[in-house]
Amino acid sequence: MKLIIHDLTPEQAETILPKQSGIRVISDNGKIRHCVGCFGCWVKTPGQCVIHDGYETVSALLAQCEELILISRCFYGGFSPFVKNVVDRNISYSLPDFTIRNGEMHHKGRYDNRFKLSVCFYGENMTETERQTAREMVQANTVNLNGTAGEVHFAERAEDFKGVLS
Amino acid sequence: MKIALINASPKLKDSASGVILEELKGLLAEHAVTEYGFHTPALPENTEELANQDALVFAFPLYVDGIPSHLLNCMAGLEESFRKSEHPPTVYAVVNCGFYEGLQNRHALHMMRNWCEKSGLVWGRGVGLGGGGMLPGIANVPAGKGPKKNFSAALKQLAESVGTLSGGEDLFTSPNYPRIAYKTAAEIGWRQQAKANGLATKDLFQKR
Repeated sequence: MKLIIHDLTPEQAETILPKQSGIRVISDNGKIRHCVGCFGCWVKTPGQCVIHDGYETVSALLAQCEELILISRCFYGGFSPFVKNVVDRNISYSLPDFTIRNGEMHHKGRYDNRFKLSVCFYGENMTETERQTAREMVQANTVNLNGTAGEVHFAERAEDFKGVLS
Repeated sequence: MKIALINASPKLKDSASGVILEELKGLLAEHAVTEYGFHTPALPENTEELANQDALVFAFPLYVDGIPSHLLNCMAGLEESFRKSEHPPTVYAVVNCGFYEGLQNRHALHMMRNWCEKSGLVWGRGVGLGGGGMLPGIANVPAGKGPKKNFSAALKQLAESVGTLSGGEDLFTSPNYPRIAYKTAAEIGWRQQAKANGLATKDLFQKR
């Protein structure tokens, strides 16, 4: 299964996202709540966020996917508030316990799964510095999530990803 | 000098960011300091005054190698107001992470610097602190003593930069106790919290 988390408008999603089976899509319904830093997803309901707004089960989907594709407007070299919110709310894909990976402390995996992480950043006036920050952050995300590195794409318009995603 | 200390932890109390800003406040006592809380995606009401400050000092936790989403919302909401500013404030940021290595905060600091460029603000410098999970528990330890040695030294350097509106390389610091001790203490802490919630240790490893 491929999992796509995006911040596209419904019209953009209709145009850009591939239609084949085996794809799960997480979109912005305008009702997502932000992580409050309670760590309940680790010590109260392990593996699932305690906020029930429909976005609390994404970490279980991460455990089933072969590829995670994030499509996001680039904000300062990182993800948009919505895409980052979904990522923030699902840290329970990992365990609270630590391990050492590449000489640095990271969280142990809750699941054996190792998905490929691919990212499509779009936006006008992205600077080269922002692109460099974004590449480095995705590389860090890949290590943190114990995934494998996919492609990181940049485009001025989200519509330019149509060929990339099909 | 007018300095805004901005606590951008999503937690209203007992946050590592609160401990950081409390110590910085003491180091900046000779200045006119105003405190702000960016705890939700909605900006607080009094943010129009931020453009009139000489320095903005953000403190927030690292969230998945980056800036917490609620703070991204706030930063995006402020971009326009700073672009009109004739005397843009200088921005400083202290990012803390639950990992041992302070260097893991570097991407979030790069994003803060990129935000400054987009918003017409002046970037000062950043601090990346490792071992943030322990900070609320050692809040009452005097500055510079025991487990606060490296932490306080980094904040002192930052306060000197803020007090003179000067820039500098980002500072990264890890706790002045062994990584294995931090790891062990953190893992004991998770088990204690699970137990307090009526869970057994094995429940922490539950798969969904």
